[in-house]
Amino acid sequence: MTARSSVASSGTPLERAASPSVWSRLWNRNAGGYLFLLPWFIGFFGLTLGPIISSLYLSFTNFDLLTPPDWVGPANYVRIFTADPKFVQSMKVTFLFVLFSVPLKLAFAMAVALLLNRGMRGLPLYRAVFYLPSLLGASVAIAVLWRQLFAGSGIVNQFLANFGIEGPSWISNPRYSLWTLIVLAVWQFGSPMIIFLAGLRQIPQDVYEAASLEGANKWRIFWKITLPLLTPVVFFNAIIQTIEGFKSFTPAFIISGGTGNPINSTLFYTLYLYQEAFSFFRMGYASALAWVLLAVVALFTGFSFLTSKYWVHYDE
Amino acid sequence: MTHLDRRQFLLGTTALFAVGAIGINPVMSAETRMRLIFWGGQARADRTYGVTDLYTKANPGVTFDGEFMAFQDYWPKLATQTAGGNSPDVIQMDYRYIVEYANRNAIAPLDEFVGKHLMLDDFDADQLDGGKVGGKLYGISLGANSVAMIVNKAAFEEAGVPVPDANTSYEDLPKLAEAWKAGNKRAGMALWQDGSGTEPGLENWLRQRGKALYTAEGKAGFEAQDITDWFQMWNDLRDAGVTVSPDDQALDATDAIENTMVTLGKAAVTYANSNQLIAFQAVNKDPLTMTNYPRAKAGSMGGHYRKPSMFFSLGASSTQKEEGAKFINFFITDPEGAKILGVERGIPCKSSTRDAIASTLDAQSQIALNFVSNLGDLLGKLPPSPPANAGEVSVAFKTKSQEVAFGQQSPADAGPAFYQQAVEILARAKK
Amino acid sequence: MTSEAPRLTVVTGVDTNASRWTRRALSLLAHAALIGASILMLYPLLWMLSASFRPENEIFTATSLWPSSWSFDSYVRGWSGLRTSFGTFFLNSFILAILAIIGNLMTCSLAAFAFARLDFWGKPFWFAMMLGTLMLPYQVTLIPQYVLFHNLGWVNTFLPLVVPKFLAADSFFIFLMVQFFRGIPKELDEAAQMDGCSPWRIYWKVLLPLSTPVLATAGVFTFIWTWDDFFGPLIYLSDIRTYTVMLGLRTFVDSSAQSDWGGLFAMSILSLLPIFVFFLFFQRLLIEGIATTGMKR
Repeated sequence: MTARSSVASSGTPLERAASPSVWSRLWNRNAGGYLFLLPWFIGFFGLTLGPIISSLYLSFTNFDLLTPPDWVGPANYVRIFTADPKFVQSMKVTFLFVLFSVPLKLAFAMAVALLLNRGMRGLPLYRAVFYLPSLLGASVAIAVLWRQLFAGSGIVNQFLANFGIEGPSWISNPRYSLWTLIVLAVWQFGSPMIIFLAGLRQIPQDVYEAASLEGANKWRIFWKITLPLLTPVVFFNAIIQTIEGFKSFTPAFIISGGTGNPINSTLFYTLYLYQEAFSFFRMGYASALAWVLLAVVALFTGFSFLTSKYWVHYDE
Repeated sequence: MTHLDRRQFLLGTTALFAVGAIGINPVMSAETRMRLIFWGGQARADRTYGVTDLYTKANPGVTFDGEFMAFQDYWPKLATQTAGGNSPDVIQMDYRYIVEYANRNAIAPLDEFVGKHLMLDDFDADQLDGGKVGGKLYGISLGANSVAMIVNKAAFEEAGVPVPDANTSYEDLPKLAEAWKAGNKRAGMALWQDGSGTEPGLENWLRQRGKALYTAEGKAGFEAQDITDWFQMWNDLRDAGVTVSPDDQALDATDAIENTMVTLGKAAVTYANSNQLIAFQAVNKDPLTMTNYPRAKAGSMGGHYRKPSMFFSLGASSTQKEEGAKFINFFITDPEGAKILGVERGIPCKSSTRDAIASTLDAQSQIALNFVSNLGDLLGKLPPSPPANAGEVSVAFKTKSQEVAFGQQSPADAGPAFYQQAVEILARAKK
Repeated sequence: MTSEAPRLTVVTGVDTNASRWTRRALSLLAHAALIGASILMLYPLLWMLSASFRPENEIFTATSLWPSSWSFDSYVRGWSGLRTSFGTFFLNSFILAILAIIGNLMTCSLAAFAFARLDFWGKPFWFAMMLGTLMLPYQVTLIPQYVLFHNLGWVNTFLPLVVPKFLAADSFFIFLMVQFFRGIPKELDEAAQMDGCSPWRIYWKVLLPLSTPVLATAGVFTFIWTWDDFFGPLIYLSDIRTYTVMLGLRTFVDSSAQSDWGGLFAMSILSLLPIFVFFLFFQRLLIEGIATTGMKR
């Protein structure tokens, strides 16, 4: 309540400003936006930007955490692109992970959100249960549990044995280990599911009423009404999940104990970066790796924004 | 190369944007507050805080702010605190990291306190040397341990196979495995862990060949052929059915106790350290015991050494180094404290302290104490402390061993390849 | 809540000619599928539950969910085992989570309103900056940030974990709210503008009331993620009396030494309870969205 009154008072000058000079026109046009952004600006310039610039600077140094950094020019970047097989490997692992986990996760989230939207008893409970795996987050328990599931004598193989299939130790075989992490990511589809649910809630009911009066079937309603109206949310989830996928760290960290093994098959990009920074004392190099990742992710995101014009429908 | 003070720079860029804010500092009182940081679980914390309480009682006015966390979380936090100019007063150090921290002056040399606050007269010489980097003393060993095999005694007894002992060599393993397979009652339990990726196992074996992991100059102490032989030996053992499958072995990514082959019931013998028997027993149903790493071949010796399991060091930026040194001395000397600590961090390094606790130890601690004290001809000299970047070599070794175990590379190729990798990694260390 | 029943008929009204029986069979089938899937989802919880009652030495080898013997010890030991009661950790986590929710909802919605609805110079640039902060891995800004907070004297207080939330530092929520605000028909605020409403009034009186689903979502996520956050508290909190639940949980286990696995699983179960209950409760708000406010376009 106090928040309301204090922020409200910052809005009132806006209403008073109404003289026709150039400055006041500029003020009229811009002040609103900047005032609303004021907290963000304070945070951005006060807390966020400084460390970001520091990390950019450090990427051109040999900073080792414990002694002062020396400027080394673009040497870190040169090494990344010319002499670092682990960079290539971790990029490969990360791309594969993003490529499979993001679409699968979104598809699951969307399907379950549609199913759990309305029209059945006990939905609140189902929703909570389906969100549960995401609640576990990065708990140490997940590491132990995933091993129980996907080890050679794990539950998955016990199940497969019923059909006469003798499975390998999925989680520790370099050929399959990444897939167990993809399964883990997809299994934790709770967050995009909730966002889809919230998006579905925002679609006005009268649209559906009109459509059902016209006799459209459910499938058609989904494609012609629900999905287009949901595109801003689909877009959001796709962007966020892609960014998060590229930055994905914790699952591999807890399950491989921070090693990225077997044979670097789960060496996610940020895991490699973390090793360089904190295990091998090469924060300068790690910073360079981070900025390369930023460039890659920004490229993807920028491209998505460009295409969004053609498939994301805003009501404006 | 231009050179800029790291803290000045970070301070500059961040303070530039910093909002004026009211810092909330803990209320400072007249007493001395020492910051102490260590890794470990609850059991270690209880013991450690037992000793800090004793110290506070003996030295009114000195209190401790202790922090403890898992090994994995410990290093990023310590590095961040150190980089931020906020390092604790007393820091637990690892044998591997002490070199990295000492070379970068992040921990303080202790030589000036020796004889004044640190009474090291009856301190084991090899343990004292283990805390030295470049001739200066940077850490006081809190206990000696040695590498050791953890053995599932119950499974051996059920199978009617004698438990491996000080004479067992790698050459004996295929035969032992035959006997094991004939008598074994445990489904899915192999005789031996696949130790091809266990760096301490490699070091132990190299030392018996008269080689080493690292020379005193920080170079590789082995040749490509040694590595080829090592991987070939394990390939043969794997083919002879001595070890667990590569799939199973890869479950044990970090030598974490809960993932070792013994704890998972996949093998009857696993590679570990002598101070870990209690921790192993806590998560195992079967009674366990401990023995040495195998001999390379019958009669070869000197693979083991008494290794400082962990140290206490002083933060370089600490303003209370003297008080810190006094505390470390109390920690390794006080008989009451020693009884609380037991051998949880390894065998105490002062003979007076060892005598004080000998009668109070439980059965398993006794096993550990006896094991480390009676290594006999298995015991060799302490190797020079590992060079910078040794940690990275260790990671590369594990990965290489998996490539061989999963059949991606032959031992003949893997030996030279790993040697090359090790040389490159060591050369990359910041001078 | 009251509108649940009529809405039901709206949707199912689509297939009025389908017989009652088919509908009932379909619903039964759906429930069966959902219950099956729920078991998959619940399995980890059941496993953790059984691990928390199990003797410690069978946690890593047992294949059945049923412990060979039951004991409540882990809960008793875990609750007070860390010298500081878990009650303190719960309290700390609650304080942090509540503050984070207030901060995020207030400041992120302000920023999102500016990006979604207002025109100002440099908007695309600032938007890109805002998204850009999402893309840099936190591992490399950690140390400069620590230096900053250390110089402000904030280390070992809650401030590094709370103040950023009040300065809209979480771009995820800004972007989320932008997307939802843009989905609200613009005629609404145009009409309000015609009536002489200031941007503030449009934000407060028009947009926010229509945004319950997204605000609830942001609230739920903030709560859960703050609760689950581990790295921030690890770095910034040193005194065990200021620890959060997650930090307390991590403290049970050190893989190189003796650990309290039973305590870990017991306290993990307890730590899930508040977020689970919070989620069950809060999703009501999520449901009372635009659809139930009776708004017409």
